[in-house]
Amino acid sequence: MDLTFLAFFAPFIAAAFAPVLVRLLGHNAAWVLALVPALIFVHFAGFLPQVAEGGRVTGGVQWIPSFNVNFSWLIDGLSLTFALLISGIGTLIVLYAGGYMKGHPQQGRFLCFILMFMAAMQGLVLSDSFFMFFVFWELTSITSFLLIGFNHNAERSRRAAMQALVVTGGGGLILLAGLIFLWNMTGVSEFSLLLGTGDLVRESPFYLAALILVLGGAFTKSAQFPLHFWLPNAMEAPTPVSAYLHSATMVKAGVYLLMRLNPVLGDTIAWETILPLFGGATLLVGTFLAVRQTDLKLMLAYTTVASLGLLVMLTGFGTEKAIEGAVLYLVAHSLFKGALFMVAGNVDHEAGTRDVTKLGGLLAAMPITFGAAILSAFSMAGLPPFVGFLAKEEIYYGIAASDPWSVFITTVAIVGNALMLVIGFAVAVKPFLGPKVETPKSAHEAPLLMYAGPVLLAALSLAAALWSGLFHQFISSPMASAVAGAPLEITISIIPKPGIALTLSIVTIAIGAILYFGLARLRAAMAASLEAIGWGPDQGFDQFMRGLVRLSVVLTRTLQNGRMEFYMTATFVLLALWLFRTMFVAGEWPAVPAFPVLSIYEWVTVSIIAIGLIAVVRAKNRLTAIVSLGIQGFAVAILFMLMGAPDLSFTQFMVETLTVVILALAMTRLRLSPQDHRSAGQTVLDGTIAIACGVALTFILLQILQTPFDRTLTEFFNLYSYSLAQGRNIVNVILVDFRGVDTFGEIGVVMVAGLAILALLRIVPKRSLGSAPAPRVPAPEPVAVGKE
Amino acid sequence: MAAAERPAIDPADAFVMEAPALADWLIVMPLVIGFIFAALCLMTRKDTRRQPAIAITGLVLILLCVVGLFVHVLVNGTVVMAMGRWLPPFGIAFVADMLGATLALISGIVGLATGIYALREADNTERRYGFYPFLLMMLSGVICAFLTGDIFNLYVWFEVLLLGSFGLLILGSRRDQLDGATKYAFLNLVATTLFLIAVAYVYGLFGTLNMADIARKAAVMDEVGPRLTIAALFFFAFAMKAAAFPLNFWLPASYHTPRLAVGAIFAGLLTKVGVYALLRILLTIFPADRDDLAVAIAVVAAASMLLGAIGALAQTDMRRVLGYLVISGIGIMLAGLALGSATGLSGTAFYTAHSMVVMTALYLLVGIVGAAAGTFDLHRAGGLYATAPWLAVVALVLAFSVSGLPPFSGLWPKIFLVKASIDVGAWWLAAAILVSGFLTTIAIVRLFAFAFWRPAHPDMRSLSLAEVPVARLGLPVLAGLCGLTVIAGLYPEPFIQVSDRIAFELMNPAGYIDAVYAPMPAAAEGAVQ
Amino acid sequence: METAVAVLTGLYFAVSIYLMLSRHIIRILLGTVTLSTGANLTIFAMGRITREVPPIIPSGLYLPAEGAANALPQALVLTAIVIAFSLFAFLLVLVMRSYQELGTDDTYAMRDAEPEGEPLPPLGY
Repeated sequence: MDLTFLAFFAPFIAAAFAPVLVRLLGHNAAWVLALVPALIFVHFAGFLPQVAEGGRVTGGVQWIPSFNVNFSWLIDGLSLTFALLISGIGTLIVLYAGGYMKGHPQQGRFLCFILMFMAAMQGLVLSDSFFMFFVFWELTSITSFLLIGFNHNAERSRRAAMQALVVTGGGGLILLAGLIFLWNMTGVSEFSLLLGTGDLVRESPFYLAALILVLGGAFTKSAQFPLHFWLPNAMEAPTPVSAYLHSATMVKAGVYLLMRLNPVLGDTIAWETILPLFGGATLLVGTFLAVRQTDLKLMLAYTTVASLGLLVMLTGFGTEKAIEGAVLYLVAHSLFKGALFMVAGNVDHEAGTRDVTKLGGLLAAMPITFGAAILSAFSMAGLPPFVGFLAKEEIYYGIAASDPWSVFITTVAIVGNALMLVIGFAVAVKPFLGPKVETPKSAHEAPLLMYAGPVLLAALSLAAALWSGLFHQFISSPMASAVAGAPLEITISIIPKPGIALTLSIVTIAIGAILYFGLARLRAAMAASLEAIGWGPDQGFDQFMRGLVRLSVVLTRTLQNGRMEFYMTATFVLLALWLFRTMFVAGEWPAVPAFPVLSIYEWVTVSIIAIGLIAVVRAKNRLTAIVSLGIQGFAVAILFMLMGAPDLSFTQFMVETLTVVILALAMTRLRLSPQDHRSAGQTVLDGTIAIACGVALTFILLQILQTPFDRTLTEFFNLYSYSLAQGRNIVNVILVDFRGVDTFGEIGVVMVAGLAILALLRIVPKRSLGSAPAPRVPAPEPVAVGKE
Repeated sequence: MAAAERPAIDPADAFVMEAPALADWLIVMPLVIGFIFAALCLMTRKDTRRQPAIAITGLVLILLCVVGLFVHVLVNGTVVMAMGRWLPPFGIAFVADMLGATLALISGIVGLATGIYALREADNTERRYGFYPFLLMMLSGVICAFLTGDIFNLYVWFEVLLLGSFGLLILGSRRDQLDGATKYAFLNLVATTLFLIAVAYVYGLFGTLNMADIARKAAVMDEVGPRLTIAALFFFAFAMKAAAFPLNFWLPASYHTPRLAVGAIFAGLLTKVGVYALLRILLTIFPADRDDLAVAIAVVAAASMLLGAIGALAQTDMRRVLGYLVISGIGIMLAGLALGSATGLSGTAFYTAHSMVVMTALYLLVGIVGAAAGTFDLHRAGGLYATAPWLAVVALVLAFSVSGLPPFSGLWPKIFLVKASIDVGAWWLAAAILVSGFLTTIAIVRLFAFAFWRPAHPDMRSLSLAEVPVARLGLPVLAGLCGLTVIAGLYPEPFIQVSDRIAFELMNPAGYIDAVYAPMPAAAEGAVQ
Repeated sequence: METAVAVLTGLYFAVSIYLMLSRHIIRILLGTVTLSTGANLTIFAMGRITREVPPIIPSGLYLPAEGAANALPQALVLTAIVIAFSLFAFLLVLVMRSYQELGTDDTYAMRDAEPEGEPLPPLGY
């Protein structure tokens, strides 16, 4: 079997065994489980040389040939880098979770969820087929729903989980429509084939529709303003989740999609306007909101929002250098943000709080964690010699120009980067340096399982910059080429070259440094201004959900109001309208029929029926109603006789007699209110509806009567009734032979009706509950309760 | 005409001369078994211990028959059997095409699943007063409705299943049951009577009742009589049976009142019979009229799926949430009928099968949830994540399945329908499908979050599954049904092949007609003229 | 003759629908009785109407008399009558039992399955 195919499923299998392993091995199960992502990492690392040479690996197996959907994968610079980040960081996260969740009663469940999440994310980036991509896309939403809601007893967790699912799952549905649009436009449903159809797509009249739908998916997943709020709320999840969710994975799925489709959807005015606008807004909003926070995790979460904004902005900016910058920044961000989240988790775990204002002087207790923190913060700040520096230089090369748009975007980037520098140091420096602050727990260094991850990631941030040649050759250049759709070569190294980029970097650092020392005041100012606004999309979500429920209640209770009269009225109004509408549309009206020629007996019978019927309606008391009902019924029996149907006549007579007798018996026992309470207006309305329906049905009947009749069946029955079926009464022969199955069913109906009546009469629920009020009229004599 | 001598009669003009193949008998076996076992249960109705065993045997046998029939149809194509061997269109023919056989198969599964679940739910009084006979009769009625090739006979089966459902609905005679049953009974009576009237019109216009014969005549007798109006009347009657908006009143009024096993089988089967009848009438018999009604059907479909999901959001009782989800699902099935394309109809067929299984499972699930949480009220239920983790797994699978999220069976038919809508530029229908999926997700995930994640209400104690009698059999049954939705989600290929074939057959009614007339020698056609 | 029956069916439908639009369950029940009679007459009329000669093959003959009534709709109506009567019997008992348990025959007051004034569903999470 193809190992790549296995790599798709291995984490799912590991997930299934996680609870059992944890039961057997305790938290050490993490060592075993981490082997799975580690092996996957090794497997994908094997593709590096081939991809570095510009190769593209596709493969797959048949999955749904009827729908032209294969289980196919695409490994190029873009997806390979993602796959390595996911499996690599995934390995560290599984180990970290082993330490962080040690002793938690649901650790097995947690590892199960996180491995499923990993599998979903990995499947997403490797998918070639649209629908496979969509399946994994929604799977990431579902698994993150489970992870965010892990602390399910807290309402905040449930809210955050639901919020994430509603926003990202809903976005996924929009994306589905977008993918189907792309499929219909190009006739291909695989990314590897789609990449060659860029011109076709861009010239299609549906381009804008497809673009907006795809962006709807990407922006919700990648938390772009104004739908960014779910991401910080997802901090309700345990720290390993936040680290994973925010560094390598789910939130970057949207960015991945944009990068993947850049060669197809990019290079248009719409793309190069919408993306930078939303991305820039997200960058600013994310950093401003991050400044305001004092919780380490939330500070990091908001900078993640900001980073995603930056990535989207760069992807849409349109220059090659901007794409190179985006690629470098994406890798850098995954490394430093993953490390910093784990650092925050360590601080929380060991010191007992994440509130940055209540932390300080942990350096002595947690030197290794601090080391990882400070290295990552340097990378986040864009300082040499870290990969973050390379990214920022490349970004400034990419966007700095003298036209107003570039100046605007560059300004946004400088402000955003400066603020990110501030947050980076606030997270990495503030808790560790300065005077020692009393913390809820007496802190000491985290165990190996928990510092291995951040240290390794921090080291990689450094290594990637020091050996930038190798890094570019194997990772960043192939990835940038895949995003651009054309070969690109990244050359930037840690040796600063004088020029616009370096100048802007220095400006950024200077602004950042100033702001860092005024952080407390800045935070207060942000808090005050947010207070003044007093509303945010996060509250908007609550309002949306509550409004949705309330609207549903109003709508549903109006339509389904529990009154049978309304149900009946609506049904018959609709019937009349529907029939007349159809007759009108189709022009199906009957011709005016000739006046009927009837014998005197027939006239009398018909008149009795009519009078009987009207008497039923007008009856003032129930006895009259029943008697009138009987009269019309017997008259119908006579009518059947006159029309050559003695069997019918007899049956009708019997049935009518029984009906009247039973009705009369039942009515005398029930003392029902005799009056029909209808106001005059109601009478007119009901009468109109009734007459309209009656007329419509009569029109259909008359029209059919005006067509010739096909007597084939009748002739057949006449011919064979005696000669083959040996019966002289043709009606009876039809009933028992030609259409015997009807009669069989009819017997079933009678049998079931009898049994149902028995059940109704015999089962009398106990009234001991006291809640059921007694009937308002004297109860009839007790109904025979089952003898059994 | 009144000949005194015996006219020259050739039995070959009246009879199907070849004896039906042994396998063809499978088509009537569900009916025979259903009636026999219903009668047996009735005879042993006071033996409340043995009666369930008899009933389950009957349900298993029915399932075996429909499985056999399904395989037979899958391998050999449409199966036709003329009752009493009278040549079509004179006698009543049973016709199992892929659509009928598939729906019969799933009915067999649903019937057995609910029958087993009910072993722990229906009490002795309910057994004595006919729980299992009602169940068996209703199931045979449903299966026969899927298989009959005669339109009046279809009416008869509608009445059989309707009365069976009445029986199940009122068992217990609780106040809300009687109230719900009253609305259910009268409104359904209106629907079936309208259906009967429409059958009468068809007979008057075409002089025949055999569906293939009607289709054949309708195809050549263009522009005769009020055909479109008759088709419209059929649409009205069956849309009401299917509980499509705005004719859905009876469903939310009643489905939550009986036992959950009863709700489950209702949700699984009853409305789907309406959908089946719509497909049969508007595609096999009156395809031209479907084209004329397509826009109206699409509007009904979109309204049903949206208002169903909205209704689900507005409920406080879990059982009532499900009632509205049934309606929403009906809308999605009708979408394919409105589109009429191969992709759309394939989506409808797949979705119908999916919905039968998943809605049944959801009712059974809520039965266990309600028993374990001690209430169906969303304000008060809670704490089941801790006490019943496996039930939570089942609940999640079903919740995402009914929302149409991957990797479960609801996904693929929805993709088909969205694609089919976009193909013809009906973007608003595609949007309705997606939005209804979105709203359904919210409604059902809320239910999950309240009943499972939220800690138990202070006055309530949520039980573990060991303390809940219905769970012992209910959980394995649910596991089986969940297995189906997972398999169909992960490896949909065989299911799509079947639904594609159903779509093909529906779009080419000639195959159905030819199959019915295959037993008729060419000479016989003119024999009676 | 057919026209007269056609108009009669229209009258039946109008009357039954008017009765079914009532708030009172007994009238709705009467409405169902007339509704099914209307449907039966419709079936009968659809087989086209002839007078007096029943579809019976006289003894000694092999075919019914010339002008005999169409037998098929009669068979259908017979089936339908029996079914309708079963339904009616069930509905009558249902109405009776509802009346006993709920204490009213006014559908406005029959609000047990869908009670009035229910609280809003939970608005939190």
